[in-house]
Amino acid sequence: MSIMDQNGGSVIAMVGKDCVAIASDLRLGNQALGVSSNFQKIFPVTDRIYLGLPGLATDVTTLKERFRFRVNMYTIKEEREIEPETFAHLVSSTLYEHRFGPYFCEPVMAGLSKTPSGGYKPFIAATDLIGCLNFAKDFVVAGTASEKLFGVAEGLWEPDLEPEDLFETISQTLMNAVDRDAYSGWGCVVHVLTKDKVITRTLKGRMD
Amino acid sequence: METSFAITGKGYVIVAADTTSARSIIKMKSDEDKIKTLSPHLLMAYSGEPGDTVQFAEYVERNIRLYHIRNLYALRPSASAAWIRRALATSLRSRKPYSVNLLVGGYDTSEHTPHLYWIDYLGTMSEVPFGAHGYGAYFALSLLDRYHDPEAPLEEGLATLRRCIDEVSKRLVVTPGKYKVKIVDKDGVREVEL
Amino acid sequence: MARRYDSRTTIFSPEGQSFYAMEAISHAGTVLGLLAKDGVVLAAEKKVTGKLLDLSATKEGGYGGSGEKIFLLSSNVIGGLAGLTADANSLVNFARNAAQQHLLSYDEDIPVELLAQRLCDMKQGYTQFGGLRPFGVSLLYAGYDPHYEFQLYRSDPSGNYSGWKATCIGANNGTAQSLLKQGVKDAIGLALRTMSKTMDSTTLGSEKLEFAVLTLDPVTKQPKAKIYRPSEIDALLEKEGLAKKDEDTEMKPAA
Repeated sequence: MSIMDQNGGSVIAMVGKDCVAIASDLRLGNQALGVSSNFQKIFPVTDRIYLGLPGLATDVTTLKERFRFRVNMYTIKEEREIEPETFAHLVSSTLYEHRFGPYFCEPVMAGLSKTPSGGYKPFIAATDLIGCLNFAKDFVVAGTASEKLFGVAEGLWEPDLEPEDLFETISQTLMNAVDRDAYSGWGCVVHVLTKDKVITRTLKGRMD
Repeated sequence: METSFAITGKGYVIVAADTTSARSIIKMKSDEDKIKTLSPHLLMAYSGEPGDTVQFAEYVERNIRLYHIRNLYALRPSASAAWIRRALATSLRSRKPYSVNLLVGGYDTSEHTPHLYWIDYLGTMSEVPFGAHGYGAYFALSLLDRYHDPEAPLEEGLATLRRCIDEVSKRLVVTPGKYKVKIVDKDGVREVEL
Repeated sequence: MARRYDSRTTIFSPEGQSFYAMEAISHAGTVLGLLAKDGVVLAAEKKVTGKLLDLSATKEGGYGGSGEKIFLLSSNVIGGLAGLTADANSLVNFARNAAQQHLLSYDEDIPVELLAQRLCDMKQGYTQFGGLRPFGVSLLYAGYDPHYEFQLYRSDPSGNYSGWKATCIGANNGTAQSLLKQGVKDAIGLALRTMSKTMDSTTLGSEKLEFAVLTLDPVTKQPKAKIYRPSEIDALLEKEGLAKKDEDTEMKPAA
């Protein structure tokens, strides 16, 4: 029984055409016992960056609060919002600071970064629990259902999906993967980030 | 075995905890109050490692009281819960972590809403409509999934609590005998007999 | 050895004020604050101006303002500063850290009075021992918290603070305060009119003025701070009939 599986939970992020999506389940467990069906693991960092934190729930909350502190100080001093690439390195270095006594979380990020021409470019990344960054071009997964998520995403994802198609793809991927995982599920939340809005939807799932 | 429950309803939170104090297989005491009143509108039920529980509960109680004295208003339930959670999360990575599980129930006097927080010794926190700790949780939670109503009046809430206690008495091998039940609502904290 | 230094930095005048520090503030640009039912207003007079000053960074991006007198301290508090700029910057940084530290510990925005207390605890410390120079800064704190809703506080270099319905720090603060005693109906208008009467120059424009308001977002019910950009200040002055006319310094009668 790994400490990473104590509370359960999974997160996935996917790239689309000029948009990105990030989704998670809503379960909080105490080993096999379900405690809450409304435990948010995805947090808005700015209007264009969302951060998913699957793993040990105490560290989910601690890290969420620590990142909020660091990002707020960055925003207020720089007088601008942090870029996704910069934020990814903030996440990485914060985790690596605790290399020999880590936070048991594997963050997943999704965002839209500004290009020099004024447009927006999709950005996704994930790290392991000590902050090793993985920049992917298609999708990233983490959490207790990560093996299943890899399998389903590999089959369903395709390049250049429009926001609504990306929503459908990420939702089907997550819902079907967590149904095969006892520690994830109990409903899902999906965020699709586009250049002018964020679409957030809550999905009902199996309650077993 | 140690068991505690808490349920929210329309404008109130009910917190209940058993009253046994045990050492190994011996019941040392059967009228222990394991629910602390942290501020005029805040209750905390605690259970876990004997010794740690009282030490930690008193540490929390006095810090919340100190904030109240310094600022002339009490810390809100959400802020209190966040502070308590942080204390446990910090303790978890210390040489000797506190092994205490909590149910923090309060009434927010500026928002006029009841709040209940489920917190374990790791510093895991979740705001819940109902929560439980100990072996009783396995029976109570599934029962509350069926019978809990967030809009229920107080009488109905107490009846649901009674169902939980009866179920635990019926099915758990080592049943706690008596329970202390406290309520927090807009008028503050009070104890009731079931 | 310590006597070789100027020990008067922490000595008090008969009125109980720290000599040098208070002196610094009486020359500083005026900052005034007004408390209204649905918000708080801060207005400040800029002293460091001139054609050669590079203001390109304040035109776009950021929170607005020119970063001389009005600063965002926390998402629910804006600060107006009068006094030594270098000391003020250090205090702003301290305040921002204190606000974030509270957010980290309690998962809620810092109550406004508590933030004022945090700064005053530090300011007081520098008045107590010889050889240390007090902060030559007075502050206005305009903020919101669920306990007392909209609030306005003022603190001085000695570490005293108090709550106000309308108040003023910096040069000419006596004149401004007597104007403010007329009572607050239209806070934005009164703030601007008072500024126009207390400032040395006869014209009122974005190059001499900083302006900010804190209100509640109608949808989220969360406090929303807005520090006006230079163009927005000029537009506001235009609306209030206080804008300067080209080549003409004569002012319109206050509306």
